[in-house]
Amino acid sequence: MEKSIERCLSETCSMDGVIGSVLADQQGLCLGVKGKASISSSGVITAIADQVAKLEPASKNPIIVLENDTNQCLIQRADRATVAIFKTSNPVN
Amino acid sequence: MAEDMKKYLKQLLLRVDNLLCILITDRDGVPILKAVNDKCPELAMRPNFLTTFAMATDQSSKLGQGRNKTIICMYSSYQVIQMNKLPLILNFVATADCNTGHILSLENLIEPLLGELKGAVIES
Repeated sequence: MEKSIERCLSETCSMDGVIGSVLADQQGLCLGVKGKASISSSGVITAIADQVAKLEPASKNPIIVLENDTNQCLIQRADRATVAIFKTSNPVN
Repeated sequence: MAEDMKKYLKQLLLRVDNLLCILITDRDGVPILKAVNDKCPELAMRPNFLTTFAMATDQSSKLGQGRNKTIICMYSSYQVIQMNKLPLILNFVATADCNTGHILSLENLIEPLLGELKGAVIES
């Protein structure tokens, strides 16, 4: 099971501009992490996804983008997991 | 000083949905600092419940995986997370559906309080 998660995270991290990714379960516990991302961020990521989903309960799971001058963090909750992808705002092409 | 710490702990309690109680105790389960929600079960704050952790953490440290840091107990309605910060113990009580990862991330935020409290416990 871990291998498929690790493969998936590695594939994500190999994409342009992506510097790290985290996968968390419903309880906010880390299932996997790759690249420049912290294991301890899994709880906060899940909490953010849960709170934002409350804004429009009728809509399907939103994609949340947190951005600063250099980096972006994209968060989306699927059925039983939440994923966060960290990427640079201006990837070098 | 103690009031400031209590206030800070209360703020942390409100930060996580369905977190019912944050309790800092000594090894014997004597509460040193606590922030409690009205819905917190009384049973989870009793010294005889809290002292079980000191024993459990000692035993689980013998499993050959290094020193035990955290024990998470999931019950049908509640979850109890206890962290080994000897001579102190950090206890969190939350509902079963509460975000466990978010509670674990509070550890770093409570760490600054522990330094001063540890000094007080060792002196006494």
